[in-house]
Amino acid sequence: MFNAIIKRGLATEAKAVAPRLKTFKIYRWSPDRPAEKPRLQEYQVDLNQCGPMVLDALIKIKNEQDATLTFRRSCREGICGSCAMNIGGRNTLACLCRIDQNENKQTKIYPLPHMYIVRDLVPDLTHFYKQYKSIQPYLQRSEVPADGKENLQSIADRKKLDGLYECILCACCSTSCPSYWWNQEQYLGPAVLMQAYRWLVDSRDEAAGIRKQMLQNSMSLYRCHTIMNCTRTCPKGLNPGRAIAEIKKALAVD
Amino acid sequence: MFSRTVKLTQARAFQTTARKNLTIPFLSTLPQAPGGVKGNVNDAYVPPAPEKLHGSLHWDFERVLAISLIPLVTVPLAATGSISTVLDTALASVLLGHCYVGFQSCIIDYIPSRVYGKNHTYAMYLLGLGSLFSVVGIYHMETKEGGLIGVLKNIWSKPSTEKK
Repeated sequence: MFNAIIKRGLATEAKAVAPRLKTFKIYRWSPDRPAEKPRLQEYQVDLNQCGPMVLDALIKIKNEQDATLTFRRSCREGICGSCAMNIGGRNTLACLCRIDQNENKQTKIYPLPHMYIVRDLVPDLTHFYKQYKSIQPYLQRSEVPADGKENLQSIADRKKLDGLYECILCACCSTSCPSYWWNQEQYLGPAVLMQAYRWLVDSRDEAAGIRKQMLQNSMSLYRCHTIMNCTRTCPKGLNPGRAIAEIKKALAVD
Repeated sequence: MFSRTVKLTQARAFQTTARKNLTIPFLSTLPQAPGGVKGNVNDAYVPPAPEKLHGSLHWDFERVLAISLIPLVTVPLAATGSISTVLDTALASVLLGHCYVGFQSCIIDYIPSRVYGKNHTYAMYLLGLGSLFSVVGIYHMETKEGGLIGVLKNIWSKPSTEKK
């Protein structure tokens, strides 16, 4: 018995567990070798040694296997929108996407589709941000409240902003939209249009006229054909398709 | 730091699908800004000039055509094909308008003037010409062949006269 205690010691040694190697195929392209075609590179990650999310696997690969693997990430909890990428054929945030625990299946990771690629999983979002800037995403009023404090609004008016203000502009919805693929130079895309609607319905904002007029052309808004990929893919569970429909409704009787 | 950012966007080296995989063969295209970005990275995107006729009014027109097709198709179905020439003409015209607007939308989507320049206009002309022929065709159908529904009914009637 005494022997058993000595053998056991104070801390128990964990039994060696067989590694559960899962294959990740990741899109690679480097601007240092621009002539080289983009390729899928295979990495094997032991799921027993890895966190539950795809971002954990990516960070593990970068730390332990290949330091040249490039991707954006920041908050690791789905609030910054940096790690938006195409995982298993679906645009989502790597930090909110669980790894498929079936190690017989490969997981393919691509950058956001139909974007210009800076490197590996990093797309160029310059134009996306320029479009966001063009809808003037800030409160516009002719006068400030007399008491110099907040612009007040009723609870009902505030409720209209729910489901709109939560958008983190990760561009998952816009880059899942076929219309945005073909005409992203002119069509604003679901993410930006949802923010356009967020400022249109804000009871404190007084620039609705200008905001609506900006969308009165064939390209900016009306390239939306209600495909609804945006709503299906949104990692935050928002509904850009509905917001666009509401803008169309508001413009129809304008 | 700022000037460096601007420079980076001017000399863009991005990976993207080759243009020939995304454009229609044998149609001339216009040169595009690298990365689709025009001007400084800090400038806002400038939308096309507002034009209600191409914006909300066009959308309203689209919806009116689509919604009015519902009763126009339901009535001949309910009446098993025996409807007045006026109603039949209305059905044929609204259907043509619906097709015109739909093809117009396709042209704006897939042959945009931003990429194809004048080819966009030519495609629109072609669509207009086709629609004009269709108008003549509808007139012919209504006056000589018993209308759109009459032609449709003939498909299912016995081809006894053709055999002779």
